[in-house]
Amino acid sequence: MPILSKLLKKKQKQRKNDNYRQQQDPQKPENLPILREYKDNISRIKGEFGNSNDIVIREIVHCKHRGALVYVDGLVDSRAISDFILESFNENDIDTDGMDYFQFMTEKAVALGSNEVIHDWNQVYDMLLSGNTIIFLEGYNKAISGETKGWEKRAITEPSTQLSIRGPKDSFTETLRTNTALLRRRIKSPNLWLESMRIGTVSQTDIAIMYIKGIANEKIVKEVKDRLKRINIDSISSSGYIEQLIEDQSWTTFPTTYHSERPDTVTSQLLEGRVAIIVDGTPFVITAPALFIQFFQAADDYYSRFDISTGIRLLRILAFIIALLGPAVYIAGTTFHQEMIPTTMAIAIAAQRENVPFPAFVEALIMEVTFEILREAGLRLPRAVGQAVSIVGALVIGQAAVQAGFVSPVMVIVVSITAIANFSTPVFAMAIAARLIRFVLMGLATILGFYGIMLGLMFMSIHLCSLRSFGIPYMMPIAPFNMRNQQDIFVRFPIWAMKYRPMFISKGNMVRSGENQKPGPPKQGDDNQSSKGES
Amino acid sequence: MRKIFVISLLMVLVLSVLSGCWNQKELTDLAFVMAMGFDKGENKKFEVSFQIVNPGNVSSGQNGAGQGLPIAVYKSAGNTLTEAARNATKMISRRLYYSHTNLIAISEEVARDGILDVMDALDRDPEFRTTTQIVVARHSTAEELVSALTNLDKLPVNKITKELKTTESMLGENTRVNIDDFLAGLVSNGKEPVVNGYIVKGNKEQIGRADDLQKTKTETFLEANGLAVFKNGKLTGWFEHEKARGVVYVLDKVQSTDINIPWNGKKHAITMAPIRTKTKVSVHFKNGKPIINIAIEDEGFISEANTDVDLTDPKVIEKIDKLVEKEIKQQVMESIKDAQKIKSDIFGFGERVHRANPKLWKKLKGNWDNQFAELKVNVKVDSYVRREGIRTNPFWFNMNK
Amino acid sequence: MEKAKIKASQMFILVVLFEMGSAILVGLGVQAKQDAWMAVLLGLMGGLLLFLIYYRLFKYYPDLPLTSYLQKITGKWIGGLLGLLYIIYFIYMATRVLRDFGELLTTTIYTSTPLIVINSLMILTIMYGIHKGFEVIARVGELYFGIVYFMAIAGIILISVSGLIHIEFLQPVFEYGWKPVVGTALKQTITFPFGEMVVFTMFLPFLNNHKKVKLACMGGMILAGINIAITAAINVATLGAELFTRSNFPLLTTIGKIQLANFIERLDVLFMLYLVVGGFFKISLYFYAAVAGTADLFKFKNHQMLSFPIGFIILFASVTIASNYAEHIKEGLDVIPVYLNWPLQIIIPCFLLVIAFLRNRKKKKTPSAS
Repeated sequence: MPILSKLLKKKQKQRKNDNYRQQQDPQKPENLPILREYKDNISRIKGEFGNSNDIVIREIVHCKHRGALVYVDGLVDSRAISDFILESFNENDIDTDGMDYFQFMTEKAVALGSNEVIHDWNQVYDMLLSGNTIIFLEGYNKAISGETKGWEKRAITEPSTQLSIRGPKDSFTETLRTNTALLRRRIKSPNLWLESMRIGTVSQTDIAIMYIKGIANEKIVKEVKDRLKRINIDSISSSGYIEQLIEDQSWTTFPTTYHSERPDTVTSQLLEGRVAIIVDGTPFVITAPALFIQFFQAADDYYSRFDISTGIRLLRILAFIIALLGPAVYIAGTTFHQEMIPTTMAIAIAAQRENVPFPAFVEALIMEVTFEILREAGLRLPRAVGQAVSIVGALVIGQAAVQAGFVSPVMVIVVSITAIANFSTPVFAMAIAARLIRFVLMGLATILGFYGIMLGLMFMSIHLCSLRSFGIPYMMPIAPFNMRNQQDIFVRFPIWAMKYRPMFISKGNMVRSGENQKPGPPKQGDDNQSSKGES
Repeated sequence: MRKIFVISLLMVLVLSVLSGCWNQKELTDLAFVMAMGFDKGENKKFEVSFQIVNPGNVSSGQNGAGQGLPIAVYKSAGNTLTEAARNATKMISRRLYYSHTNLIAISEEVARDGILDVMDALDRDPEFRTTTQIVVARHSTAEELVSALTNLDKLPVNKITKELKTTESMLGENTRVNIDDFLAGLVSNGKEPVVNGYIVKGNKEQIGRADDLQKTKTETFLEANGLAVFKNGKLTGWFEHEKARGVVYVLDKVQSTDINIPWNGKKHAITMAPIRTKTKVSVHFKNGKPIINIAIEDEGFISEANTDVDLTDPKVIEKIDKLVEKEIKQQVMESIKDAQKIKSDIFGFGERVHRANPKLWKKLKGNWDNQFAELKVNVKVDSYVRREGIRTNPFWFNMNK
Repeated sequence: MEKAKIKASQMFILVVLFEMGSAILVGLGVQAKQDAWMAVLLGLMGGLLLFLIYYRLFKYYPDLPLTSYLQKITGKWIGGLLGLLYIIYFIYMATRVLRDFGELLTTTIYTSTPLIVINSLMILTIMYGIHKGFEVIARVGELYFGIVYFMAIAGIILISVSGLIHIEFLQPVFEYGWKPVVGTALKQTITFPFGEMVVFTMFLPFLNNHKKVKLACMGGMILAGINIAITAAINVATLGAELFTRSNFPLLTTIGKIQLANFIERLDVLFMLYLVVGGFFKISLYFYAAVAGTADLFKFKNHQMLSFPIGFIILFASVTIASNYAEHIKEGLDVIPVYLNWPLQIIIPCFLLVIAFLRNRKKKKTPSAS
């Protein structure tokens, strides 16, 4: 750990010495003004970008005024440029109405959605790289920036990792604007506030923070903003970076922020008072604060009826426990506590293990590691080859290993149950935590059987109870226990009974729904079918 | 601080891994002792037979159930149980493992001499279960009993334990007795233990031979047979058939059985099969002497009526009830009288007196055996025939018309 | 002192877990034979009275732990010495519980594992908890409270469904008169586990709502007492008084008797799960009291520093305090109650209360007179 922190410090020092432009810091030495001579400006751009040929510079002459358009090919909508900017320069017969030429061009001629007058080079680079077109005009020490953003976007597709049966089928994309729009479309309220910032000294990644004013806890919103502002790093490649930089604690396997690619999930989290962080270039939106139990709540829980979703949620928690303990219990049971296995079963297992050359732990380890390798390989392989891997895996692990007498059939059963149980955790980050801890517990089970497992679980629970997510205890509302917020924990109450928002997250506006929301049949003798509950 | 913590944690973990896993025992290194038999030794005090399961031959997995025998029996001698068990390791490649032991067999000889010397080892060992059943091998050695093979259940032990369970609830002449029950009876002043008898029937030459199992009618087989009565830790007598059933009745372990009653002069004409039986034993005191009241209540159905009887008549049913009551009462009274004869309070009447009147018990305790012999016992039976199968009157009824 | 704040419900749960901790495992009140459950209930009543003493003391000094107000009441030097005595007592009791715990595991399941390995792994886990602070321990308590109760209810259902409970084993009531029952209560059950509430004098200031102290602590004691009494009664009703007195760990024997459907049997492991949970909280709270007391007495700012040395003292003492289990138990039954529990749980607090009462009356009088 000390070595690591030393390295980090060194890096920070280094960074201070580097001459990176930094938007957040106004006192930049190279924050130069735009020059009057447009040719100088152009050569400056050429110099800065090293003659990169995707920087398109087009010189124009218009009513005796000379100038140049600069844009980055690929980031702009070329139709917008030709239709709205170039078109306006073709119009030679102009009536400036006594306006200054520059002002005229800005306000009248360039017919784009938004035009901006910019004065310094930082803004120029910013705008240019976000897909705007910069118009330099001879004799002015300022430039027009016209919004011509229009790069290739991926269409909104079905979510690929968090599937649902009844829920909406759209998912976030890599484009920040699309993502914010998806959320805006779901919450049509002016109280849905959006604040944006840029993080990454080099990458200048757009980040948007969204929350519902009046529901979200101001303190948490401020904390999120503070933590984001603190980030000083060259680039943000994905929301995973942000996640790791704003966590409360790094030394944990459990995720303390939630991420989702489903707009409906994020919407419901916003409505519970959480804060969403949207990072440009990542189809996963982070929400915070995140609680342990949240990772067992899937979108479908809310779309099917409460009894069914309660059952399924309990099943999911059971699956998590199996995924955590499966092989460890097998090892402990077969090497320490043979007395707890029913006699016939003990004899059956003993018979199967008779010819297995490895001790139970090694056997379990081999199988688990093999499975993890297969899983990882299946994830990385091109889709066409994936099939082959699963066939090979099934044959190697399932058939051949057993027939060769390397592993016992029981072990195969245990490993497969564990593996399948692991996939039933809705969020990958939590599933992988269970997977990692599983190996630790297997080790403990080998040393001390159930006592070891129990100590491991005790350790884990102390750790879980000590975690916080943006100041909120991670195990809330189980520990510390909160009666009022048990509506959506182990048992999902019917929607009409989930009257309150989780009080530890949102502040103030707690009530979700009106009185008497419980539906029922129409009152007797009432001819109109339009009773309150029916609709 | 944190560093020290992490380092010490790692140290302890590494230490514990390196220095070996003390209690770890792989399944394949264990010899599951399914049953133990105690016989009188020649030079040493005991000869202990260990019935060890051979897992590969029992379980019918993919590897194919072995053709071999499901069990192996080893015999070793020792003055104590531990000594015998340790001596046995000279013959067995695996560590003897007692957690799954389901049966303790004691030869009649050992039982008559007193078996107290093995009980503490069984009671004290954390691995051994005191819920293990105990039986006395009648007319044979315990070794023969644990060596016998059975054909329906692959594991002979399962046969015995399951059989005891079935016969207890279907016939009521035996009752399951485990080490705990046995010890509780030994220790108590006001109760003596009973233990099931088991008998190896048929040709003893064939015991433990696989080819015997190839026949539909094996030459040797095991059978539950009688209840052994103990007094002061020594076997003093046997109760059999109806008398054993009487004992089980008083112990409130009978669930179902068969009661034959005569009708119109024909013996065993009607059979009543109880489905529920409940026995209540209570004590009351008269002139400073305890009197035991036994109230048995059972309900059942008529399973056979081999005579001309009108079962549709409630009065007839009432009469059958009375006859059944008389029959049960007689069985119970006979067993009580027999027990009084040998002065062994196997019913736990003493404990009842103890609970009802601890002060009086203090006086009676010392001489309870004799007190028990003269104890007055009232038996009251209430029997109810609830239904009579899927026929109303037996065919005899119409045949004689 | 750590600036922890916990809720009344958390305090309640900690009291319950602490009281039940090891009391449920060992045969509590075996001297009273089949009346053990009554001895427990009598002990509970005595314990409640004792707690009222601690409560009055807390009322006088609502923001201070025991080690601080000892100095206020009896002066700096005597108070300091007494405080040290209490710290040693807490350490010793933590040691004893750890030993109990280790012995249980080594006699039942881990027969060939050295005691020190079992104990050191346990103490490491506890040290981690202490390191994380009191609030975290309280939260872990909440997490396990439900699990413990679930197991307890499952256990009771299993035992009764297996037909093991013979109510008549509880008779005759008062076979040897009331003397052994009262004697057991006075000698054992008042001080263990109910008098052990003295450790909570260190934690009462942590409660965020001082008005709820009585409710949380006494409620917890009553619930725990009833649970222990029920356990004792079930043990006797299952095993009979004779086997009950003969068992080192009656609950283990009781659970061992469960046999259901040829499948649910040999559930000793369930017992061990409870054992780890109960042992954890009992040792943790004693341990924490010792750590907090030391930090308070010697003015350490950071209590976490202390968890390590004190943890090691507890670990090594737990292996060395007795050379065999019989000695350990004998000490626990004969020496500890008379020479440690009675003075430290009952006599000293009584004296403290009297002095505090006199001092505070004087104080009250002076302003009213002036």
